[in-house]
Amino acid sequence: MAGLGYYLLLAAFVVCAYAASMSVAGARRGSRGLIESGIGAFYLVAAIMAAASAVIVYSFVTGDFSIKYVAHYSDSVQPLFYKITSYWGGLDGSIMFWVFMLSLFGSAAVYVNRERHRELIPYVVATISVVQMFFLFLMVVHNNPFTTFLTEVPADGEGLNPLLQNGYMVIHPPTMYLGFVGLTIPYAFGMAALITGHLDDSWLRAVRRWTMFAWLFLSLGLMLGMIWAYEELGWGGYWGWDPVENAGLLPWFTATAFLHSVMVQERRGMLRVWNVSLVIVTFFLTIFGTFMTRSGVVQSVHAFGEDVELARMFVVFLITILIVSFGFVLYRLPLLRSRNEFDSWVSREAAFLVNNWILLFGAMFVLFGTMFPTLSEAVTGERLTVGPPFFNKWMLPIGLMLLLLTGIGPLLAWKKSTVNNLKDQFLIPVLACLVVGIGAVALGVRVWTSGLCFAFSAFVAGTISQEFWRGARVRQGATGTDILTALIGLVSRNKRRYGGYTVHVGIVLIFLGFAGEGFKQDEEANLRPGQQVQVGQFTVRMDALKVTDDGQKQMVTSHMTVFRDGKEEGKVYPAKWYFRKHETQPTTEVAIRRGFMEDLYVVMPAFEVEAQSASVAVHVNPLVNWIWFGFGLLTLGTGIALLPETAFSFALAKMPAGAVSTTALMLALLLLPTVGWAQGETVQAVQRSETQRRIENDIMCLCGCRAPMGSCPMRPNCSHYDEQSLKVTQLLAEGQDHDAVLASFVRDYGSQAVLTAPIDRGFNRLAWALPYGVGVAMLGAIFLVARRWSRAPEGSASETPVLDPTLDRRVDDELRNLD
Amino acid sequence: MSHKATKIGITSLVLVLAFGGLMYSSLSEGTEYYKHVDEVMANPAEWQGKRLQLHGFVVAKSIGRRSDSLEYRFDVHQNGKVVRAYYTGIVPDTFKDDAEVVLKGELRQDGSFHVDKDGVMAKCPSKYEPEGKLGTPGAE
Repeated sequence: MAGLGYYLLLAAFVVCAYAASMSVAGARRGSRGLIESGIGAFYLVAAIMAAASAVIVYSFVTGDFSIKYVAHYSDSVQPLFYKITSYWGGLDGSIMFWVFMLSLFGSAAVYVNRERHRELIPYVVATISVVQMFFLFLMVVHNNPFTTFLTEVPADGEGLNPLLQNGYMVIHPPTMYLGFVGLTIPYAFGMAALITGHLDDSWLRAVRRWTMFAWLFLSLGLMLGMIWAYEELGWGGYWGWDPVENAGLLPWFTATAFLHSVMVQERRGMLRVWNVSLVIVTFFLTIFGTFMTRSGVVQSVHAFGEDVELARMFVVFLITILIVSFGFVLYRLPLLRSRNEFDSWVSREAAFLVNNWILLFGAMFVLFGTMFPTLSEAVTGERLTVGPPFFNKWMLPIGLMLLLLTGIGPLLAWKKSTVNNLKDQFLIPVLACLVVGIGAVALGVRVWTSGLCFAFSAFVAGTISQEFWRGARVRQGATGTDILTALIGLVSRNKRRYGGYTVHVGIVLIFLGFAGEGFKQDEEANLRPGQQVQVGQFTVRMDALKVTDDGQKQMVTSHMTVFRDGKEEGKVYPAKWYFRKHETQPTTEVAIRRGFMEDLYVVMPAFEVEAQSASVAVHVNPLVNWIWFGFGLLTLGTGIALLPETAFSFALAKMPAGAVSTTALMLALLLLPTVGWAQGETVQAVQRSETQRRIENDIMCLCGCRAPMGSCPMRPNCSHYDEQSLKVTQLLAEGQDHDAVLASFVRDYGSQAVLTAPIDRGFNRLAWALPYGVGVAMLGAIFLVARRWSRAPEGSASETPVLDPTLDRRVDDELRNLD
Repeated sequence: MSHKATKIGITSLVLVLAFGGLMYSSLSEGTEYYKHVDEVMANPAEWQGKRLQLHGFVVAKSIGRRSDSLEYRFDVHQNGKVVRAYYTGIVPDTFKDDAEVVLKGELRQDGSFHVDKDGVMAKCPSKYEPEGKLGTPGAE
């Protein structure tokens, strides 16, 4: 199998080379045949990579430990799910996965655009092929995932570290890769436009959507990394300015800048050099981030190891990208001249420009901070490092300025705002800002950054509400429908704009969550049963320290009761787990009590069983859940902006009856999972093993409560529960598995009635996919409904859409200065 | 045109100077030396009182914790040099015998290393580690 995989990679390399050369030759000779042949070869690469991926997944599933990569990242007892995802578990495989995703993405982009952007396609194919060739080359000569052991083959693999056998760590890397890979597409189109000289704005239209898509995945990838750090690492925070985190943030900054500045080029024909440079820089940063974190150039607590040869190859590739890309920019400079002059600083394009500068400065600053140890070593010979305080000091004002601009931008008119215009637009947002700002000071907010953040958030919220409200009123007046229908019509008519505003609302929520950092409180204490520690309005009392064992691991759990302002709120169970074979490295299980206003976050880093004492750290983290909720809105907003033009083009004012209520219902449904997720899971009870918990949910409690044991309402005073639970524990201790335990219950009870339901084995494995599933279903549902509504009723299809004059005037007002 | 160029030039000069000044001031208080144990212990006197990030490996069986507290004492070694470290607080899960660690803190007169609050970083069990097992010397 290993041989087959290796040859497939070699074949992919050769086919890539063929695709690149044929496309370029075809484009230069004007030969349609050659170009088609290149495109065909390009699709073929995707097929070959799919085959190679199948080979490696097959090797993982069958446990072919003669392959080093398989032996290193899996073992025979690992669950099937983690065996499959081990594909992208290590460096070699993740490069291969990267190429696979890129070939799929690239093929899709080429397929979609092959007619519309016929002149660009050959060079798009060539650019993506060259990028693929670089990574394939890396694999073939240096990081071959199919390397086998030459002499003895290990009987079993080393297995993944238990800390990484975690759902978030499984989906986080592919999400980031999707973002990174997606950003290669705009670069390929940008390069094609530069090479061919077709530098009108058509290439921008081709890539806008792809950039948004990639940007969304990059955002989600960053969020997943943050949640993982928050829930698993136990230090109470979610972002530590680690080089690996920064590597993902860098292209996010520049991609965000591009998504904004692209509008200036579309509307005003300005910033053309800037846009193409941003696309190049963004792509450069995705590769640079990989280089930085994978080759040991930057020392980090993540064990990346130094790999001089890999570093050298990356440096050559990076320099080539820079020289070739900017070489073409210089060569095409005459064609990139701006069509318009800048009119005034009080204009929307100026706001976009400032936003771009700040984002770019943010990216450069993070890059500088991350590279600082390496730079200082190169310059002075001493390795100096900078820590999170340095980053925070700089990024706080940068973030606040960006937040403020988020509110200012939409209030300014294109080209130049008049004074009356300004008064009219700024009144409400500024009032909101002042009220909240003064209110915050009056209420005793003494952290100035957080106070400013609250005030600016109010400003942005004021701006966005005003935009939605005014737009909807105008549309309502024109179409005579109710306000909600008008609102939806408004959003559908300008999806990018109002989708963008929705993203901004998400950003505001995320910023509010960040502002909560300013009020976090923490306390460390050593507690014995009966003793308690107070943090803010919470009091946490230690009740007992219990040691249990479920056969796979030993668990030491601290049972604690939480009081809020003296009233009992519930229990938390921070724990430490000692996995078999990994006893020296216990995992700390954080107990998080999520709340709308704050999280109570309890960790037990150390304990003494004999003394029944536990050292605990208690954090109160205000507003953290708003960050995750904000990311949810950001996804929704990007989804709206990404909807195809044909889908729900509500130029028609008349909608089917009930459309609005359906939409409202659907929106409520869409928001529910997020809300439930943010507020649910209040207590992470870990006193029972996973297996036991599962069993207890599958067996009825016999006390007559008609509930599964695990959720018997009579607990903790239910005598049946204790008896049954003891039996489960005993059976498990005897080495019986889940099914065997259920079987013995059925045997003892004499009927299947003791079981709550047939066991749904697939469910647990699917649980990780839930957020994704919900997201996809959400988009799908919106799309379907939109498609249905957008279909004009029979007979009226040929009619011109009824344009409402007031709305048109509003649009005209904004477009009036267009060429 | 030249008028515009001067304006742009002066603006950017002011900006660059302002940023440079701010950067310099925040850098001078925020930086730490990143050193390996053997580099520091070769000449301890030179490093006393300086902000350090000390890179080394935890000596096996040297980790001690005062009972009923979060006070730790352990030894860190690299290339034959050893330094004793003191720390009060929470240690990461990956902190254990032979673990590769980076400690933030400072070297005292008595030759012991006092670690800051939250200043213990143990190598993350990243999936991207090269050949060799985690935490063993030579994993670099």
